[in-house]
Amino acid sequence: MLDHLDQLESQSVYIIREAYKQFKDIAMLWSIGKDSTTLLHLCRKAFYGHVPFPVMHIDTSYKFKEIYAFRDRWSKEWNLKLLVARNEEAIAGGMNPSAGDKLACCGQLKTDALKQAIAKYRFRAILLGIRRDEHGIRAKERYFSPRNRQFEWNYKDQPPELWDQYKNQQAGEDHIRVHPLLHWSELDIWKYVQREQLPIVDLYFAKNGRRYRSIGCETCCSTIESNADTVDKVVEELKTTRIAERSGRAQDKERAYMMQKLRSLGYM
Amino acid sequence: MIVVLAIDALELALVEAFQPVHLMQKFHGRTDISEFSLPRTMVLWSSFMTGANKEKVVLADGDKEMWNYRFDPEETLFSAFRDPVVIDLPGFSYDLAQHEEERRLLKAFFEAGDDGKKEEVRKAYNDHAFRHHREIKKKFQDAVAGDHDFVLGYFSIADVIGHLNFGNRMLMRMIYRDLDEIAASVKVPKIILSDHGMQAIGIFGDHSGYGFWSSGTADLGTPRITDFRRIIEGMQKG
Amino acid sequence: MERETLKFVIVGHVDHGKSTLIGRLLYDTGSLPDEKIEEIRKFCEALGKDIEFGYVMDHLEEERDQGITIDTAQIFFNSAKRDYVIIDAPGHVEFVKNMITGASLAEAAILIVDAEEGVREQTKRHAYILGMLGLSQVIAVINKMDLVGHRKERFDEVKRDLLKFLDGIHISPGQVIPISAKNGENVAKGSDSMGWYTGPTVLQALDLLRPKPGAADHPMRFVVQDVYNFSKRIVVGRVESGVVSAGDPLLILPSREKTTVKSIEEFLRTPASAEAGKAVGITTAEKVFVDRGNVLVPPGPPHPSVTNTIRANIFWMDRRPSGPGEVFRFRCATQEAACRIETIHAIRDSSSLETISRDGGEIRNREVADVTLKTEKDVVIEDFNLTEALGRFVLARQDTCAGGIITGFSA
Repeated sequence: MLDHLDQLESQSVYIIREAYKQFKDIAMLWSIGKDSTTLLHLCRKAFYGHVPFPVMHIDTSYKFKEIYAFRDRWSKEWNLKLLVARNEEAIAGGMNPSAGDKLACCGQLKTDALKQAIAKYRFRAILLGIRRDEHGIRAKERYFSPRNRQFEWNYKDQPPELWDQYKNQQAGEDHIRVHPLLHWSELDIWKYVQREQLPIVDLYFAKNGRRYRSIGCETCCSTIESNADTVDKVVEELKTTRIAERSGRAQDKERAYMMQKLRSLGYM
Repeated sequence: MIVVLAIDALELALVEAFQPVHLMQKFHGRTDISEFSLPRTMVLWSSFMTGANKEKVVLADGDKEMWNYRFDPEETLFSAFRDPVVIDLPGFSYDLAQHEEERRLLKAFFEAGDDGKKEEVRKAYNDHAFRHHREIKKKFQDAVAGDHDFVLGYFSIADVIGHLNFGNRMLMRMIYRDLDEIAASVKVPKIILSDHGMQAIGIFGDHSGYGFWSSGTADLGTPRITDFRRIIEGMQKG
Repeated sequence: MERETLKFVIVGHVDHGKSTLIGRLLYDTGSLPDEKIEEIRKFCEALGKDIEFGYVMDHLEEERDQGITIDTAQIFFNSAKRDYVIIDAPGHVEFVKNMITGASLAEAAILIVDAEEGVREQTKRHAYILGMLGLSQVIAVINKMDLVGHRKERFDEVKRDLLKFLDGIHISPGQVIPISAKNGENVAKGSDSMGWYTGPTVLQALDLLRPKPGAADHPMRFVVQDVYNFSKRIVVGRVESGVVSAGDPLLILPSREKTTVKSIEEFLRTPASAEAGKAVGITTAEKVFVDRGNVLVPPGPPHPSVTNTIRANIFWMDRRPSGPGEVFRFRCATQEAACRIETIHAIRDSSSLETISRDGGEIRNREVADVTLKTEKDVVIEDFNLTEALGRFVLARQDTCAGGIITGFSA
């Protein structure tokens, strides 16, 4: 019997190879985080070290410097076709998370940059490293999920993905999103990183009693309390504790909101 | 006998997630409470039992006083029945002392200084709610076993527990299972409805802007909460 | 020696005690952590009840919802003899679809019936699906014996009704066991109140089942996904059953060409063999033509069938019904071929199990149909119980509209 990680790995490799066979003009989104770096490693495994499509980094210009350094080093070592996509207009125009609201910033610097890149290179499918156990609507994702021109997604009416038979035709949809890591949990990712000895951005490891659980732009990320400064320690930490999903700051906000709502409803 | 299970804060989304078949009955859906400025428990149940929008009336003396408001049986749908039993319904037979203590504990939770004290108060708050739920269950089951033509049981457990624990899905799942069993035990025609639903704000639960209904005999569409008086009176005639 | 694992499903009417039985099995075999039991006990107390095992299912379902699968869940427990996995197909609306997805992974089934209520429509429907999926190892369990005073007469009555129905759909259960999941009678422990019953408990009956032969005992099947030419020619695909090793002779289907496995290729590794489930690459000794959709097998029997006529049970999942003469895409493993529904032998509604007679050759959403399909080119298929991946398929227009299990074939 294949062990758990081998099963996850084989399933993902199968999906990656399917996507390439069915759609040919594809790209992989690399956020330089632990999930997409795992996805990148799986792509290297799938194609025996010769990843035959571009690896795209959506650069908002607000990323941590450690992220840029990691990207530049490993894209060279692994011989990747690196594509850096930036919404130059918006950045030049001064868009940042404190200028407008966070949603607008993400919208322009991330989503629009991706839209522009897809339109320019005419990618038919994009590989992403999202997992089902991340919050909320992610739970409803399919392995092969269509997005229309407006990046809209009809999650209520999705056809079933029965027995590894994935969507392989497009009609008017702009591109297909492929999610080879859907069935992996956060702990699975770390255990795989541990087993394969994958390089990981330093930010994930504790310094001064804190580390980042997820990384993105320097402006909008926050740390959690932790002393785990190696992969092995992170795995142990995840196994034994159920760290609160959100930081203390988010909880304070929720409490304040609830007090106000309960007051308006006449409870307090 | 016609039975109504008035389940405060029963949330359609959770019903669809947990699939409690006896709460769902043959037909179920959402109610329209958009005519009200806020989904207030007292206002909604008052409007339910009288068949009219009672927001202004109930709030006239301010929203701290509203919990004490009581309607005359003559103004309500219960007057159509010979021997109705109405258990703990806000605005009619509400157990004032019980629910005032709830609100006191709720306030104490938010005012508690450290996390340790908060958990102590949460435990006291939850225990208090579960004890009341056990009492209500017994009262309800006794009434249903009796010879009345109408029984309404008001179950506040989902709302009370939900305010401080809605994010604990495990706990909510078990509560919905218990409510499902209560529904399963009623073998006569019944209407199940809630005043509003609930949505998670972290661990907490806020009122959502629509309620839940279910029926074993008719598809009611998207009724307003004020429509139920007519619907229940219709069931009696039919 | 590696412990065996056996996967099974529990089916039956939703109120007949499946949750309680699962909870009981976990509790009585010590497969539940103490804190979980304590949590459940405290909660039951808060609701004014004795500890009930239905809540165990809540814990499990909640864990599943937080987890990674959305269609079926796996629940683990073990006896002294082997490890067990209950494949749970949740939800009532999507039940049949999930059953086909999930129960197809199971090797056995427990069919549960309430002693008081007896055999219900849902009981029959679930049993029918078991039959359709070729699940032959069935243990029947008559639950809630405590509610009928543990009387042998009632047990015999329900047993008779059940066996009569099951016989009509060609299922003969290995055991019929009287239990009370709530009180833990005849589940893992015996029962003082049913001295008239001398058969095995549920756990003993499970231990008596034969597990499916392990990967090594299945014939090797390798389905080709693609062919790469980076530095050398590598045929990539997945080992769907059995084990493939360097040096093995191969027969390529449907072309029937022969060659040998030169090497097994993984990134930066060259393992000696690869087992079922592994996505790998192969290099061949001869430069034979291999393409996506081909199936590589050992030259000796048993062989999959190469045919264009397929008999199958299909479950329609699309709002748009099938039209007479309509052309679909038949997709089985990595094979794809145009196909038509040549004959509809029977259609049943999956909730009522009633046979539907209809002119016009239309199959509608949530109906199950026994059909004969004709594909425009030969495909490689096999008995579902021998090689799942070659025994099940989907029919698609743009997207999947039906799932199917192959029941027969002719050249």
